[in-house]
Amino acid sequence: MNILIIGGGISGISAAKVVLKEGNTVIIIESASEPGGLMARIANCRIGFKTFFDEIRDNPLLQVIKDSTISAVTRKENYFTVTLNNRKTLKADRVVIATGLIPYDPAEYRGRRLLASLDYDAIIDQRNEEMPADFNKIAFVLCVGSRSKEYPLCSSVCCSYTLREIKWTLQRAKPDISVFYNDFRLFGQEFFLEDMYRNAGVHFIRTNSRYFEEDDTGVTMRYFTDGKLKQERFNYVVLATALRPNPGLAELSRLFGFTLNKYGFVNENEPLTTDAEGVYVSGGALEPMNIKDSILTGFGAGMLALKGTEFPAEAVSNHDLFYKEQETEIVIPVGNFASCLFYLGTENIMNRMFYEYISSKFIDTARNMKKSGKTVYFLTKNLITPSYEELIYEKARQEGIIFIHLEEGESIECDGTSVKIMGGVKLKLALNAEKIIRFDDYIALIKDKEFLSVYRSEPQLRWAPTKWGRKRYHVGFIRHPRAGRWEPREILGALGEMMLDKEEERVLPHVNEERCSGCGSCQSSCPHGAIELANQERQIAVFGPNLSTEIRIAHIKEDICVGCGLCASTCPSDVISFNSN
Amino acid sequence: MQQTDYIIELAGHKKEDLSVCLGCRICASVCTVNDLEINANPQELLMNLFLGLNVDKDDPLVRFCTNCYRCTSACPWQIRIPDIVRGLRENLSTGSVFEHAIIESINIWGRMYEPYVFLRASLFVLKDGWARHMFRMMEYVINIVRSIHVPHKVKRI
Repeated sequence: MNILIIGGGISGISAAKVVLKEGNTVIIIESASEPGGLMARIANCRIGFKTFFDEIRDNPLLQVIKDSTISAVTRKENYFTVTLNNRKTLKADRVVIATGLIPYDPAEYRGRRLLASLDYDAIIDQRNEEMPADFNKIAFVLCVGSRSKEYPLCSSVCCSYTLREIKWTLQRAKPDISVFYNDFRLFGQEFFLEDMYRNAGVHFIRTNSRYFEEDDTGVTMRYFTDGKLKQERFNYVVLATALRPNPGLAELSRLFGFTLNKYGFVNENEPLTTDAEGVYVSGGALEPMNIKDSILTGFGAGMLALKGTEFPAEAVSNHDLFYKEQETEIVIPVGNFASCLFYLGTENIMNRMFYEYISSKFIDTARNMKKSGKTVYFLTKNLITPSYEELIYEKARQEGIIFIHLEEGESIECDGTSVKIMGGVKLKLALNAEKIIRFDDYIALIKDKEFLSVYRSEPQLRWAPTKWGRKRYHVGFIRHPRAGRWEPREILGALGEMMLDKEEERVLPHVNEERCSGCGSCQSSCPHGAIELANQERQIAVFGPNLSTEIRIAHIKEDICVGCGLCASTCPSDVISFNSN
Repeated sequence: MQQTDYIIELAGHKKEDLSVCLGCRICASVCTVNDLEINANPQELLMNLFLGLNVDKDDPLVRFCTNCYRCTSACPWQIRIPDIVRGLRENLSTGSVFEHAIIESINIWGRMYEPYVFLRASLFVLKDGWARHMFRMMEYVINIVRSIHVPHKVKRI
């Protein structure tokens, strides 16, 4: 089978990897002179992309056509004939659209010291030997070009990317950094990173600004916080620009016959499938998403292009390799009260990764309450509604739910039915609500779930997004507490990942069963749950009749064990060991 | 709350056009009123309206807003805050006697009819305006008298 992939970014390359695994031919059409897309423009991700691409670069079945775009498509019974702009024609059985995202150009603000985030990235690039001479005060301004009337979606990666830029900046210099944000939309472990930088002296200010006056030595910026206007000078101001759909998608949709939604992204009726038959879609053509999700959807779309849409259903029913945590039903009481107050904020860092999940649940409940005619207040410390969820938040605002955004340092104090906002000077506000619903009350419901350990131990960038441990793929709610549309995508991605899997050599630990006391310390130390304490019958009588009893002994499940050696190092009596031969 | 609805209706907008506010305070960062008093925050004014709180005459935005629409052009949701400020001014009747007289004369004749305006305003001046505003008015009159100049003589050839 011959598969055509449009776009040579990270998502297109991931799709190509899956397809090449089964010995099919792949053609990648890239409009730039070198594959890489948006990911390769980030200085610190360039090497990552290169190593990822190098694995298939020399494959004879792969053909990368650079500097070309598609000018015409004709469709016969079961294959596409594609004409490029240099009049070359190609034949392909299936097509994967992986056109990716385009950063918004803030032309009205941009200057020599007022930079878009990717331009700033070029300054802190490790390949530049010296940093600029005046690099003492840097400001990051978020949400430029997104969450607006013109483009109401949230780009969902700018906050995380800004956090990485802070990290890369601090690796090279010690400037004074201020971050101006509306909501700081981080995921999983990134909240720990944020807390680390907060303690290290990075200022996070919950306000935004569009007042910049640029001159030769810096930028004067005005912002409104703590109830008054402040004016500050920065050497550089970095605008975290929105990611918007590729404008070339409109032309492609006309040629291939699939439809786009009003924001310019591909309509996805079935997961990772367009309206047109035989045309699949992955990565940034779907919605704004991060690198990890681009890889995931790339794997999924590649798998679909190979096997067709009928395959996944039967594959999923046969597999017992998926691990899926049951979603906890969060029931928020809808009682007989006239006013209600939601408080979305927590002091506990461990709980912050649930901001996204609890935000969407709270907004849904708040909208239902508003529809039944109640007064609803919504106090937020941080509200996480990435990409399409932002539209639901917009509807909630339009329906008349009153959102009050607390600044840094402000907190609430409840006294019966009245709520006061403490700590700030801005609000001299006291609200009255008969029912108060807090973030922390609902955390207890998801506290002891197993996925927490996975979500916390998640590394920063995963080349295998769903794989966790040997023969164990986490899909659905467990990988990310996020919107429902992600679950089928994750299943497809996991199926693609299974095709890429190769058996790795590993050394298995050995349990000396004579000496094992069954204390269970190895079981609790194993991160993959590969040790079980099995009962074994043992003869105990020395004289007289045969007497036996059951004792507990550590037993290693060889299927799941990855051979990390944690059990051997925790065992108090050196019962578990690795044989050197 | 009734007052809020009235003001929003006066401003000629639907409620949902205004309640989309994100609370980002971009409007406050560009607002020119902040050059006079540094605590002018259009976003807070909007929020107070939706909470049903009263906005008083001393609010810096009500006093000094120049209807420049800088906030609207910077706002991600293009919320037209000066319209609301105008509605508030109408509601709090902050306009001067002259303003009211001018609006009335426009309502009657469709244009500004100066004799009517002066008649209406003179009542105010005689009743309670004169004693309070005498010094300011005198100053104003003197300035006008000083600045009066006779046009240059045109030389005819």
